[in-house]
Amino acid sequence: MLLAITFLFCVIALRFFWVQVVDGGELVVRAEDQWNREIPVVAARGRIYDRNGRLLAGNAQSFSVFVRPGSVTDKEHAARVLAELFGVDEETLLKKLTDGGVSELTVARQADKASVEKLIGFDIDGVYFSADNKRVYPYGDVLCQVLGFTSGDGAGLSGMEKQYDKVLGGTDGQIMYTTDIVGNETEDTKIVYRSAVPGDDIKLTIDLDIQLSAEQAVREVYLSTGAKSASCIVLDPSNFDILAMVNCPSYDLNDVPRDEPQKLNALSRNVLVSDIYEPGSTFKILTAAVDLQEYLNGNGSAYSPTRVFNGSRTRSVDGTTIKCWSDHANGKHSNQTLAQALNNSCNPCFTDIALALGKDLFYEYLSAFGLGNVTGIDFSGEALGMLVPQSLVRDCDLARIGFGQTVAVTALQLACAAASAVNGGNYYVPHILKSVKPSDGGAEEEVAPVLKNRTISGEASALLCDMLEGVVSEGSGRHAAIEGYRVAGKTGTAQKYENGAVASGKYVSSFVGFFPADRPRYLALVIVDEPQGAYYGSTVAAPVAKSIFEDIIRIRNIRPCG
Amino acid sequence: MRLPNLQWVAAMKIKLFERPKGRGDLALLACVAGMAAFGCVMVYSASYYAGEVGYGDRFYFAGKQIAGAVAGLAAMAAAAFFPYKRLAALKVPLAVLSLVMLALVFVPGVGVTNYGATRWIGFGAFTVQPSEIAKYAFVLFAAAHFSGHYAAARSIKGVAPVLGLGVAFCALIIAEPNMSITMCVALLMLAMVFLSGTNMKTFAFMLIPCVVAVPVLIALEPYRLQRLSAFIDPWASPRGEGYQLIQSLYALGNGGMFGVGLFNSTQKYRFLPFAESDFILSVIGEELGFIGIFLFFVVCLFIVWRGIAIARRCGDAFGYLLAAGITLVYGIQVIVNALVVSGMIPPTGLPLPLVSSGNTSLIITMTSMGVLYNVSANN
Repeated sequence: MLLAITFLFCVIALRFFWVQVVDGGELVVRAEDQWNREIPVVAARGRIYDRNGRLLAGNAQSFSVFVRPGSVTDKEHAARVLAELFGVDEETLLKKLTDGGVSELTVARQADKASVEKLIGFDIDGVYFSADNKRVYPYGDVLCQVLGFTSGDGAGLSGMEKQYDKVLGGTDGQIMYTTDIVGNETEDTKIVYRSAVPGDDIKLTIDLDIQLSAEQAVREVYLSTGAKSASCIVLDPSNFDILAMVNCPSYDLNDVPRDEPQKLNALSRNVLVSDIYEPGSTFKILTAAVDLQEYLNGNGSAYSPTRVFNGSRTRSVDGTTIKCWSDHANGKHSNQTLAQALNNSCNPCFTDIALALGKDLFYEYLSAFGLGNVTGIDFSGEALGMLVPQSLVRDCDLARIGFGQTVAVTALQLACAAASAVNGGNYYVPHILKSVKPSDGGAEEEVAPVLKNRTISGEASALLCDMLEGVVSEGSGRHAAIEGYRVAGKTGTAQKYENGAVASGKYVSSFVGFFPADRPRYLALVIVDEPQGAYYGSTVAAPVAKSIFEDIIRIRNIRPCG
Repeated sequence: MRLPNLQWVAAMKIKLFERPKGRGDLALLACVAGMAAFGCVMVYSASYYAGEVGYGDRFYFAGKQIAGAVAGLAAMAAAAFFPYKRLAALKVPLAVLSLVMLALVFVPGVGVTNYGATRWIGFGAFTVQPSEIAKYAFVLFAAAHFSGHYAAARSIKGVAPVLGLGVAFCALIIAEPNMSITMCVALLMLAMVFLSGTNMKTFAFMLIPCVVAVPVLIALEPYRLQRLSAFIDPWASPRGEGYQLIQSLYALGNGGMFGVGLFNSTQKYRFLPFAESDFILSVIGEELGFIGIFLFFVVCLFIVWRGIAIARRCGDAFGYLLAAGITLVYGIQVIVNALVVSGMIPPTGLPLPLVSSGNTSLIITMTSMGVLYNVSANN
């Protein structure tokens, strides 16, 4: 009998050994779920500043509210109070509280301090809260499409918030503590606090003052012309820093219309980067640049600065007739050199250049100017533009591309191409991020400008700048002239196409301007889409650039030249 | 059966206690006392949190257990000096008392219901679990019966009184319901008849109904089937039937080889139901590890070994059967409890003798150990 009992004890001891020593680890892993409760500690989201350290996106203190159904003594009372304070449905909440099955429910996120203070006053068992982030944008709708917004739980959904979500987001931490079966802290609870790592702050290349100035100027033209939309990009041609980006209409980042997805989708779109348009005459900057470079290269087909273009109003190419926008009557557009052709924005002259150089050579330059390709800006959703493939392009297409038709670009593409044509021929990768300031106190990391490729030579660029300065001083860009400052630029007025045909009365008025002409530091592209009434780029868009340049001169305290 | 007359009882009172013939098995007594003290510590460790939360008193369970242990020590001492042979005379009164008490459980106002089972009778704040007494009453009755009628065990007619009492006990206990103590009594019944030198025919006559009874009893109460399925795969219903067993396994797993240290159990935070009573072995395993469990089993086995040795050395049939029966009651309970806690058989409500919270069991078990000592000292 003793033997039998001893045997039984041995079997039992073996079983205990199996459970405790062999299976022990796995059992503990399973059990830890019930022993520990976690309260998330939301990492403070990194702030977004402009280039001068002015806050564009910050955080306000807010709270997440949780409830543990198992610990709630008076469920009806709890549901009533929580429903009232945080605007949740009382019945649904009560059902969740009574049904059980979950150990924790999230009642509210981004609740404000006042509500949470009231909640503390009620002192309901089983209700917990923890600090949370609520994104705050001090300037509301300023730069809204670029900054973007975050979701309710603080993830970047659009714009820079999305682009640099990983940098800004940080790593959430948690407070872990041991509890008894109903979630009460145990008396000897081992509180494990894994602190949240705050997100890094970032600085944008945007200059808030220039942005505000551009916002105001664009808004004014948007309202005064009754345009469908108006937008503007300001960049620094010396390194392709984006100084301002304005899309009108806009929306308030502090009151994102989340309930109207279509409206939000339209308003939050950074049209300057994501949408394409037919540039029209502003494109002539590039055609002129190509011609000047080829002239300097000794290409006999190129038009020298002194060569006079054919004064006829029309050109016949592949059996189609290309006309100038002007009637050429009474000696207008006669005896034009390249400078005058730019001043007058005479279309046939640029047809002549494109055809004279031929498509292979011309496309080589267009490719260098980044057409048909993304610029590589740090902003998602960049469009490619539309350029007829080189193998398919006909002379009649090439003839029109010369003055900016049969080609579509993003505003950013055009601004960058023009900037590289006037800055001495350097095409940089445009960028919006200027630097990252790590939250651990490390040194600020600057984003260095990246030279993508050369477009034209410094000499050709200088010649072009001279000519474009003439456009503003004596040509179609007069409305952008500022006395004492060397402003240069080119206007553009493109007809819009709808369903393959010219849409009557629908224009895109634009202007590319920059200054100082001898060493460009500020380049602005202003686009007014479908202005009502006056529609010439010279009268609609050029004054906007002038207004922005005047503000820049004041903001940056730039002295007039000699 | 002849009832003892009052004069006999009066005469017995004069010399109620007698110095035993020789020095008994003191190591056994020391082990039992140590085990009871260990039980007090473990009950405190397993219950102080539940006591504080449920009753506002960390010592709610431990205090009772200490009082029970002190009373148990006194009872054990008394039993150690009470000549065991005189116990034979108590076989009928004790059996009747047990039957009455087991029946009283079902009298409204007297029976106390806990956890869906009516297993206790209450006298004010004091509750007694009659089935604990019944086990020993049965041992005593069987030992006295078979020693008095030596050849009884060989015939069906001879075992009939023992069988009758056993079945009566089982019927009353199963009605409470308390499956595990019923099983203990049934096992005891078989063991006592077996030890009395029965023949195969009689033994088979007993064994077959017992074997048949198990599936019948399971079919009778659906919760038993649920427990059985929970035992087969506790993870299938971790919040339902499998909960108790899973919690027990968590505790054992958390203990690992060396345990988390005395008083450091996590499962006592009300995760493990009956941590201080039926599942105290889980807490022991969690706090003291496999090493602790193993040493505990060694001590249990030592007690069983001493008990069996005492029975073997005993010259008279009554002492032999009594000592063996007492030892069996202890051994069976330890084994069944350990099997439940480690998930080898379905969960049932059976205390770990000498350690689990619960004074009836503690005092009676200690008393029985006193009797065991007296058997050893008188032979």
